[in-house]
Amino acid sequence: MPEASTHCTLHAEGLTKRFGGFYALRDVTIDVQEGHIHAVIGPNGAGKTTLFNALSGTLAVDSGEITFENQRLEMLKPYRRTALGIARTFQNIRLFEHMTVIENVMVGAHSRSYSALWGAFSGAVLHRPFAQPAVEKTMRDRAFELLDFMGLGQKMDENAEDLAYGERRRLEIARALAIEPRLLLLDEPAAGMNPNETHELDEHIKRIRDRGVTIVLVEHDMNLVMGISDQITVLNFGEKIAEGSPSTIQSDPVVIEAYLGEEEVL
Amino acid sequence: MNPFIESLLVFTGIHIIAAMSFYMPFKTGQVSLGQAGFMGVGAYAAGVITVKFGLPYPVGLIFAGVFTGLIGICVGFPALRIRGIYLLLLTLGFAQIVQVIALTWDYTGAHDGFQGIPYQENTFWYVYGTIIILILFFSRLENSSLGRAMVSIHEDEEAAEVMGIDVVRIKLLAFGLGAVIAGVAGAMFAHYTTYVDSRSFGILLGVEILMFCVVGGVTTYWGPILGAAFLSLLPEGLRTLRDLMELIPLAVTDAIPKGDEIYDWLYELLDFENEKRLIVYGAVLIIMMIIRPQGLLTNKTVRQLMFWKRPSRDA
Amino acid sequence: MLGASYALVAIGYTIIFGVLRLLHFAHGEVFMFGAFIGLQIVLAWSGVNIYLAIIFAMLGTGVIGVIVALIAVRPISSKYPLAPLISTIGATLIMQNVAVSVFGGENQSFPETMDPVIYSVAGVTVSNIQIFTLLMSMIIMVALWQFVGRSKTGRAIRAVAESHETAALMGVNVGRTVLITFFLASCLAGAAGVLDGVKNSAVSPFMGLEVAVAGLVCMLLGGLGNIFGAMVAGFILGLVEILSAAYLGTSLRDLFTFVILILILLYKPSGLFGTRVVDD
Repeated sequence: MPEASTHCTLHAEGLTKRFGGFYALRDVTIDVQEGHIHAVIGPNGAGKTTLFNALSGTLAVDSGEITFENQRLEMLKPYRRTALGIARTFQNIRLFEHMTVIENVMVGAHSRSYSALWGAFSGAVLHRPFAQPAVEKTMRDRAFELLDFMGLGQKMDENAEDLAYGERRRLEIARALAIEPRLLLLDEPAAGMNPNETHELDEHIKRIRDRGVTIVLVEHDMNLVMGISDQITVLNFGEKIAEGSPSTIQSDPVVIEAYLGEEEVL
Repeated sequence: MNPFIESLLVFTGIHIIAAMSFYMPFKTGQVSLGQAGFMGVGAYAAGVITVKFGLPYPVGLIFAGVFTGLIGICVGFPALRIRGIYLLLLTLGFAQIVQVIALTWDYTGAHDGFQGIPYQENTFWYVYGTIIILILFFSRLENSSLGRAMVSIHEDEEAAEVMGIDVVRIKLLAFGLGAVIAGVAGAMFAHYTTYVDSRSFGILLGVEILMFCVVGGVTTYWGPILGAAFLSLLPEGLRTLRDLMELIPLAVTDAIPKGDEIYDWLYELLDFENEKRLIVYGAVLIIMMIIRPQGLLTNKTVRQLMFWKRPSRDA
Repeated sequence: MLGASYALVAIGYTIIFGVLRLLHFAHGEVFMFGAFIGLQIVLAWSGVNIYLAIIFAMLGTGVIGVIVALIAVRPISSKYPLAPLISTIGATLIMQNVAVSVFGGENQSFPETMDPVIYSVAGVTVSNIQIFTLLMSMIIMVALWQFVGRSKTGRAIRAVAESHETAALMGVNVGRTVLITFFLASCLAGAAGVLDGVKNSAVSPFMGLEVAVAGLVCMLLGGLGNIFGAMVAGFILGLVEILSAAYLGTSLRDLFTFVILILILLYKPSGLFGTRVVDD
């Protein structure tokens, strides 16, 4: 069904990644419209996380192109992609455990207020000792605002390792938002959450989208996916097998067959 | 100042600087046992400047710092891909190579050592001036985005990279700076002892530096400072303890059964001239690691202490 | 041959690393104690059978190794990765200086235990002492290798090396297995020490340090946790050192060892034969 053509912000074409004889990704093409919430689903091992790794730069693809807002991405290292406005979270939540909650978020703000290396270095020596300069305060305030947005304001001075599971997920998202991304890659954000938490997550994701961020998410929780997505891409065995709106996907026999034997119910 | 006390304080100060040179790359998670090697590079580099080129001391210091820093970046490159115990061994290997070069390079005296380095009588001030500068630097670094970036690299390199941090550049920066600091320490050492040779900066020193930091605590920059001070002054402290022992009246040792023998044994043990002191030193290390493996000072401890000093400070 | 001592010590390093992920610096000192215990036995009991001396030395050092483990290793929480390292350094200091204070700091000569006979083989001269030490070393090494490979205890050791938790779930007494590993490793080092003393006719309280570093390099060269690798690496290193000493002079010999170390770290950190240990 032809969509009204809106600006396509992320375009990946022909992505292929092999590990020996095994194709983790095989000629995958995906288009993400600006301002959309775009889900990537598929049975376990379908290549979803590999796709994410390719998009965020953690993994290099064997062939294919990735374009984000007219910039080619394949040669760029992760931190360069971040500078372009792409942020991601990890399936197995990788927080900076021994740093406080607010420090975790402030790390993300690093790339935004990061003046030249020399600036950071000289700033260290020339400023008043033991005092917090204005830049720091601004970063702190912004970080707090994000924590508040994700419902973690109270916990800002706790160590990341001391948080409850749901809170850790939210911190990860807050940290990703600190980069002020235009594209946010969420890798199984609802994993391990109970229905209440998932519902809250649903709200958070929508509010993030309302702030002008395009979102791509990998998820197993079909309720969440069907309720929130504008567009869904389905992968199986490293290949794209279907794409379309939630209602299209739900009734697609190819997709249903791929999921037969899985516990997910469409 | 009493020359003995001055020399004790100078060496302690140099140890403190050396410990801070370890802390710098460690902040990004890089464990370097090669700081002793960088000290050697700095010592020889400065020596060459002052002895072979006749230039003044400050020039020697600056050159030592810059030159060692460049070497540090060179070593830092291969170190990027290596972690943990492998990095430990790599840096150890580097320190050994420096030692061997010092042993065989005729320009700087080969195994006769580098002699005739001009004595710098104000070394004490240079040393402690440097320490103060370093303290200011590290205190600024602690609450800056660069400092946070370094810690995040230590915590999880890949996650840090995805957060937009240029891991390569920052790791190299940290490693290079660590080398600069070590180089300066070595230069100051050389111009105080007026003589260095291949044995001055070997594996033993590298391990000693590691000890200062682990015992002092590596989560805050005060840790290495305290650790270096504590372990450097420990032998002296033991000797003072022994001198104090001499004040114990005979009546007391007579009263305790076998008091004489225990007294003699303890007295021997505290003699910092001989190998028995090393037994005590070793025991101190083991005991410290059992009862306080995180080191004397941790971030939490420092925060608590600072909070106590300035109760009106907002969190 | 030199390589045999390295190999024996390296095997000890590697099995300890295998079960605890610990670089046991103090292991070199155990080697040194082996030499001294052997020396004491031979001095006190003239005409003693050399085999008996070796066995007693092995048992003695085995016990010492366990004591070190109990005092300096076990009580240290592994939560702070550098702490066990420092503790073993402390143990090294203690052991080395206890030896110095008890035995004195100079080299001591090891009395002759057998009449030297020189053979000439393919232009190379070897003495029967060298052959003997080489043979003994190989026998001990192979014995250990087979033990770890085949016996129930050996299986327990390998299980603990894989994962403490899984091994415990399978009913293995992890703590005891670790101590047994220390015992075995120290026995080997002790044997190496005595054999070294016999071969060089001299022992010194400082012989531990050199061997400690060389053993470490071997462990890395052969692959962490890989017993066979450690064995082979020991011989390779011994050979390399002898050759480089012959052609490059002794001061550059150490350089060579470390150049090898660095090359391995950069290009093949898993060692020649691959590590048996999962990197964290």
